[in-house]
Amino acid sequence: MSEEQKQGQPASPAVSREAAEGHGAGPRREGAGPHLAAGRREGGPGGGGRREGGPGGPRRGKRQYFRKKKVCKFCVEKMDFIDYKRADILSQFVQERGKILPRRMTGVCSRHQRWLGVAIKRARNIALLPFAGSAAGTLAPRAVEAHKS
Amino acid sequence: MEERLYDLVFIVRPATPEEEIKKVLSTVEHACAEKGAKVEKAETWGTRKLAYKVMKHREGIYFYQQVRTTHGELVHELERRLGVQDAVIKYQTVRLDEDLKRQKKLVHKREQRAARRPRRPAPPPAPSAAPMGDPGTHAS
Repeated sequence: MSEEQKQGQPASPAVSREAAEGHGAGPRREGAGPHLAAGRREGGPGGGGRREGGPGGPRRGKRQYFRKKKVCKFCVEKMDFIDYKRADILSQFVQERGKILPRRMTGVCSRHQRWLGVAIKRARNIALLPFAGSAAGTLAPRAVEAHKS
Repeated sequence: MEERLYDLVFIVRPATPEEEIKKVLSTVEHACAEKGAKVEKAETWGTRKLAYKVMKHREGIYFYQQVRTTHGELVHELERRLGVQDAVIKYQTVRLDEDLKRQKKLVHKREQRAARRPRRPAPPPAPSAAPMGDPGTHAS
């Protein structure tokens, strides 16, 4: 257990005891000091290598992923109003099937992600963007009919 | 009531004859004129492919208007009249003045912040616009 504390790398079974008591919802307090700064926030580079402690940790994705340092496009362009009529801009943040892409994929900041969601939903209402699952009406016609206004 | 700005987008069935379209547009105009509203912008985006089928149509003619008014009940009236028209298959009204007010405030704040900082003639190498002598905690 002491060597774990020094290295903090391998996810050995003995860890589970510590995990259960100390780690709870995420690696807040950690015995391994040097590793603390690396990946306290979700998905930080090298943060996925640490032992998966608590069950509620933000990094219990399918695999550890590195995240390129993305900047929010809207912040860079200083766009304070995301127009719902600009389907060309909005479609960059939407999957093919119409689902809104999560922030961690697009690098948008939280404020703009909220406004983006509002704009996308407005655009969906006037058929500028598809609702999720109604892709072009060819795949699932029954689902499309259900969305008919 | 203070003045409000509304965005109105409505979609008309494709291949609708001209006079029907004119009728729809004049309905909207009359409704606005009755309540003393001002139509700031009126655009026709033409026939566009719809993202999903609306009333079995895959295309529609889009119309966009921006209306400024002090009477909030105008929206209800407009939507009612548009809903009555057969040619109109979808409509949406969005209130914009609060958003624009917020946008103006942010722009204003940003300009004030930029004006307060001492500007240097040479463009700074850092990606942000802040010069190096900024007493902030930027570690560029």
